Amino acid sequence: MAENLLEVKNLKKYFPVKAGVFKKTVAHVKAVDDISFAVKEGETLGLVGESGCGKSTTGRTILRLLEATAGEIIFKGENILSYDRKQMRKLRKEMQIIFQDPYASLNPRMTVGDIVGEAIDLHNLAENKKERNEMVRELLEKVGLGSEYMQRYPHEFSGGQRQRIGVARALAVDPKLIIADEPVSALDVSVQAQVVNLLQDLQKEFGLTFLFIAHDLSVVKHISDRVAVMYLGKIVELTDKHDLYNNPKHPYTQSLLSAIPEADPKKKKERIILEGDVPSPVDPPSGCRFHPRCPKAFAKCSELEPEFKEYGDGHFAACHLLEE
Amino acid sequence: MNKLSNDALVEVKNLKTYFYIEEGVVKAVDGVDYEIYPGETLGIVGESGCGKSVTSLSIMRLVESPPGKIEAGEIKFGGRDLTKIPEKEMRKIRGNDISMIFQEPMTSLNPVYTVGDQIMEAIMLHKKVDRKEAKRQAIEMLTKVGIPLPEQRVDEYPHQLSGGMRQRVMIAMALSCDPQLLIADEPTTALDVTIQAQILELMNSLKESYGMSIMMITHDLGVIAEVSDRVAVMYAGKVVEYTDVDTLFDDPKHPYTWGLMNSIPKLDKDVDRLEAIPGSVPSPLDFPEGCKFNTRCPLAEGKCYEQEPPLEEAAAGHKVRCWRYQDLEEIKKRGERIYADRGVQN
Repeated sequence: MAENLLEVKNLKKYFPVKAGVFKKTVAHVKAVDDISFAVKEGETLGLVGESGCGKSTTGRTILRLLEATAGEIIFKGENILSYDRKQMRKLRKEMQIIFQDPYASLNPRMTVGDIVGEAIDLHNLAENKKERNEMVRELLEKVGLGSEYMQRYPHEFSGGQRQRIGVARALAVDPKLIIADEPVSALDVSVQAQVVNLLQDLQKEFGLTFLFIAHDLSVVKHISDRVAVMYLGKIVELTDKHDLYNNPKHPYTQSLLSAIPEADPKKKKERIILEGDVPSPVDPPSGCRFHPRCPKAFAKCSELEPEFKEYGDGHFAACHLLEE
Repeated sequence: MNKLSNDALVEVKNLKTYFYIEEGVVKAVDGVDYEIYPGETLGIVGESGCGKSVTSLSIMRLVESPPGKIEAGEIKFGGRDLTKIPEKEMRKIRGNDISMIFQEPMTSLNPVYTVGDQIMEAIMLHKKVDRKEAKRQAIEMLTKVGIPLPEQRVDEYPHQLSGGMRQRVMIAMALSCDPQLLIADEPTTALDVTIQAQILELMNSLKESYGMSIMMITHDLGVIAEVSDRVAVMYAGKVVEYTDVDTLFDDPKHPYTWGLMNSIPKLDKDVDRLEAIPGSVPSPLDFPEGCKFNTRCPLAEGKCYEQEPPLEEAAAGHKVRCWRYQDLEEIKKRGERIYADRGVQN
């Protein structure tokens, strides 16, 4: 068994809601509310959920782009929430992020060579300019872009190519962990596959560990080893991807799987259509957060929050039905 | 499918919609043909910039002019050519005989009017009824599209509703005058998957009860498989494949359609690698000579670079625009991958 590279324990991230003249905090958006999981070295953990479930906040809090409200983030055995700025800066060499929007995440005034080379400069990874440019050239080739692109600007590239630049930038510092936050959702279908294949190739070549955040369960299932399903700030189920697909235990996972339109007109799926919308994370429902929409909810569900625990062979879920 | 033998509700023939911009001429829609029959759903699928939205805007005559212009072709609807009739008549058709719903329900609803006012506006414009009756009909429509507490919701503003609810309001508005054709342009793309399932189900059941035709425009092959009777696959302003939905998914004949289907991961099938189509869609200002897919097609050879293939009937009711579709057939029979694995190459 591989070691845990990253462990998240009881992580919480609340955003204050301020109102009035004195900007008093009147409530909190509980974007991430007490979640725990681990990512093993060399694996891809998929984090899936609908908008507002807290999946992106989780990714950003792990990188400390957002400060956690409570909990522990253990990377290579150390709780990085206690790190100061200097330590954090060193650590960023080990953890990188790829963003969703390849149009907004690249500085339009920098050449591709400088975008990719900036991190090399910051961390003094190259002896001199020549070596640095050589490294950039190599990185661009690794992601399938020719070195002739080094002097070009982001606007000269298509969405897929920009996302490749974002990948090259993340790789520049030779990281251990890459958090990919919806890396393919802004891309055209035919280009999505290119980027997914690229990420898989690079993972093999460099032994990378991925936290792959996305709303598209088919893509997550394809690329991940294990998958965690989030709903309204909580992880409701976490297990091996085949297990999740063949044997979903949580009613939310079941309805999520059944809601995906599949590219097969002959297959008429038994749909579990959920009623209503996701409630507001400012005032989440009592007990199990899914109970107002859950087709199987019973009395206990609105009173008591179900515990997130293991139901055999690494299959975690939080649901009262399973405890019966 | 006997309903397909009826007369077409809409017949689009050789439609060309161009945009004249400073940099040159963008041939967004460049010779498109298709028909929509009563009671059927025509799916139009393609990636960004393929012209799928511009075709629908052309039917509604909503292409901004200048810079856009319907350059050639016919759009036959109820015996009339929509490209030729005066604007005043078009206005009677719009929202009455043909309605449209869009991707972004927030930007398509007016934020300063209540949803009731907006539905009533369409009703009062096309039917001779007073405010009171219009409001009664608006509430009835909200009930039909599954909005809880319609009497209360009718007086609320768009920002008070969730994304899924707003799309329901859009549908209520579009159906308020009992149209013969509903054009849905990526109606679920901005919605979460559980809400998408609700909206697709609603559209399917309303289609049954209203007996209307739907033109469903989307990039999502899953949505296409779910709702369509027939499908037109578009690439670079042209229809490249056109057939019924089962045939399309069973036996895609165009290399682009094949590529699209194999580039998406399937929930029930595991593959190690996706079959990615290399490159990206060419700029509409710089389309290649010959077949427009030749820059990305693994089968492209001599003729493909010189001459544009026609949309040809490859089998009964199955049209494809490719010089080499028979060769593709051979490769498929041998069970080979068409998009060779080129590793980390572009």
